[in-house]
Amino acid sequence: MVSAQKKQTLTIRFNNRFGNEQLLPEQTYSLNNTDTLVVNRFKYYISNIQLTNTEGKTIIPENQYFLVDIADEKSLSIQLNIPEGKYTGIRFLLGVDSIRNVSGVQTEALDPLHGMFWTWNSGYIMAKLEGTASSSMIAGKQFTYHIGGFRKHHNTTRLIQLQSPAFTDSITIIADAAKWFNGINISKEPVCHSPGTLAVRFADNYSKMFSIAVKE
Amino acid sequence: MRYQKTIIALLLLSILCTGWMYMGNYFAPTPVRFLVPKGWPQPVYNFKENPLTKEGIELGRQLFYDTRLSKDGTISCGTCHQQFGAFNTYDHPLSHGFNNSLTTRNAPGLFNLAWQKEFMWDGGINHLDLQPLAPITAENEMAESLVTVIKKLQAEKEYRKLFKAAFGDETINTQRLTRAISQFLLTFISSNSKYDRVKMGLDSFILPEKLGYEIFQKKCVSCHTEPFFTDYSYRNIGMPVDPFLKDLGRMKITSESNDSLKFRVPSLRNVMRTFPYGHDGRFFSVLSVMEHYRKNMVISATTDSLLRNRLPLSNFEIGQLTAFLYTLTDSSFLQNPHLAAPGKGISTTAPADIHNK
Repeated sequence: MVSAQKKQTLTIRFNNRFGNEQLLPEQTYSLNNTDTLVVNRFKYYISNIQLTNTEGKTIIPENQYFLVDIADEKSLSIQLNIPEGKYTGIRFLLGVDSIRNVSGVQTEALDPLHGMFWTWNSGYIMAKLEGTASSSMIAGKQFTYHIGGFRKHHNTTRLIQLQSPAFTDSITIIADAAKWFNGINISKEPVCHSPGTLAVRFADNYSKMFSIAVKE
Repeated sequence: MRYQKTIIALLLLSILCTGWMYMGNYFAPTPVRFLVPKGWPQPVYNFKENPLTKEGIELGRQLFYDTRLSKDGTISCGTCHQQFGAFNTYDHPLSHGFNNSLTTRNAPGLFNLAWQKEFMWDGGINHLDLQPLAPITAENEMAESLVTVIKKLQAEKEYRKLFKAAFGDETINTQRLTRAISQFLLTFISSNSKYDRVKMGLDSFILPEKLGYEIFQKKCVSCHTEPFFTDYSYRNIGMPVDPFLKDLGRMKITSESNDSLKFRVPSLRNVMRTFPYGHDGRFFSVLSVMEHYRKNMVISATTDSLLRNRLPLSNFEIGQLTAFLYTLTDSSFLQNPHLAAPGKGISTTAPADIHNK
């Protein structure tokens, strides 16, 4: 009989920021010293989490889907049941894998009532960033970026791989929303509401928004 | 005997216990077999994930006809999908939505959905269970949020009972809501038209119908493929873009320019009941559709290769084709009391049957 491996709970905290500042709803931030931004919504899906332990072995916990939302304090930390040990790497998918995009109506974090699902063009919004910007030229000076698309050329899920100093039961991941704007001109591109090349540019941007927080 | 009473009591007790154990099964939903009409392929819907049950279908029927699913409580699925129009919006190019709004596309008839992989004129929806979410939430349809729909249903004792009967407990969520509606929709099978009876050797075409069927097989069947009378593909049939709707069809979903102005080939089953025709309902009669094919098509880069020279049709051919199209009307489907609004079906007098006047 295989000895039952001891389990432990790993807490992953998401620390959402805009540049170096804490990201909070309806707060004002400056972008490139030229633009003033208010962020109203910032949500993204995390799934398919894997861990690498200090021996280089990959641990694949049972797949779960999490919706991180700055307006929902509870969503900012997630718990995983993992084998006891020391870990140095974490890998996850930002977004929802294609199979869940073509399998009808899902439950819990993937329930379409969270407003992260396109009803007219079936598929999940992998991540969402909304707010106002002084440079926006549309009604209400808004920008709304709903990034989705799971098919080949328009795939907006991104595999994130992060290395960390050894951790056992907790790790904090920084998500910097300012990274979304790399190469984006808000006055020309205030809205992204469908799969396509613009959504893919945002996906490439948010693939670089994560880093491991260094313990103070 | 001294022990007789005790033995009888024990026996009774064990019968009661067994009965109690079977009670659980008694309250389990009653499975319903999905019958594939003779000669038809297997359905594409995944019944394993959502097995049909009597209680699930009944719940779906309640939901389909419940106006509380809309924001102001005036519109149900059945408002725009009317049984006498094979579940289209009868005699309406576009349908009426919340607060005097109009939809941008024609509400198609609903039937044989178990064989359909993608939904909407542009195929944007990839699963039957997902389909109801679009009309429920669209601002120009039922205009309600899913969160509110679920709350409204949870507040109704009657619905909690119905969900328990269908799914085993009182949980009401989006998945159960849409699965119940799917179960009801999956029972919309139209396979009893005169055409079907002829195919089964139970009836015969009169001469114009027979001639029409021959013309149909030469000129129409490559897209309106039997037995569904659609091949479920997306094609540009030369309908110029409406300047107000600016609807580019399939291209909106794929972002591919060669999908511009392509729309799904509609089924021709019950076609004489599903007027007006076209994705925006611009054709008010079968005759105007025929006129479009032979004269009015606008040929562009994405026009279907089969229609490059339009579709030549003589007046005689149009007459015979029309006679054939009448044989696709399925009166038993249009009058099936199990598909009518709850409480209205069984006792309602059936409308006139066009085949048996």
